[in-house]
Amino acid sequence: MKTKIIENIVKILIPLIQVFGIYVILFGHISPGGGFAGGSILGSSIILFRFVYGSEHTDKKYPYKYLMRTVSIALIMYGSLKGMLFILDHFGIDKIIPVGVPNTFLSGGSIIPLNIMIGLVVTITFYFIAILFEEGELEYEHASE
Amino acid sequence: MKKLFAVMITVVFIGFLLIGISEMPPFGYEDNPANNEVANRYIEGSIDDTGAINVVSAMILDYRAFDTYVEASVIFTALIVVMAVLKEGGIKFED
Repeated sequence: MKTKIIENIVKILIPLIQVFGIYVILFGHISPGGGFAGGSILGSSIILFRFVYGSEHTDKKYPYKYLMRTVSIALIMYGSLKGMLFILDHFGIDKIIPVGVPNTFLSGGSIIPLNIMIGLVVTITFYFIAILFEEGELEYEHASE
Repeated sequence: MKKLFAVMITVVFIGFLLIGISEMPPFGYEDNPANNEVANRYIEGSIDDTGAINVVSAMILDYRAFDTYVEASVIFTALIVVMAVLKEGGIKFED
């Protein structure tokens, strides 16, 4: 889409959408929301960016290789972190990450890192699935040059 | 004849499911089997256990974190399957 009006409106809109998505992810232990909701908001902002600014520009800005690595590392980190916490809890060592004062931002122990990882997985996966259904290809040859 | 058969099967199944529903405990009754010590523990002890005031977050990311882990893995597996089926061929957006 080449319209200048859409490009300029989206240029203002996308940072607002992304700040809202990051807020929903980071405040998942205080207000309604969390990794799944915030991740779908962030993913929709990247999909909007790709529809407006074109495939080539987006492939350069968000390379397929690094996004795929991010998803895999986030999933592995989630499994190992929470698995480690469960196993240590069984042996009586709990609250390695301090719980903090409830109703402040730095509370909830392991909930903030786990929410961030879930958010990353959902963001990138929704973006990939949307562009696969729409374009049938994840990355064109120009991006790897 | 085919339609009559289908209608009869549907009626039988509806009756079967309604018999099952008639055995269910009444909604919101305090002696229901769903109101056990697990729900009370979540409501009363979640702030002390996890420090999160959002009880839903405390449940899905602390008490039942592996359920959420497998949910994320299911989304990831769906991506891999869609990639295997749909990759290559399609329209491309001009900038």
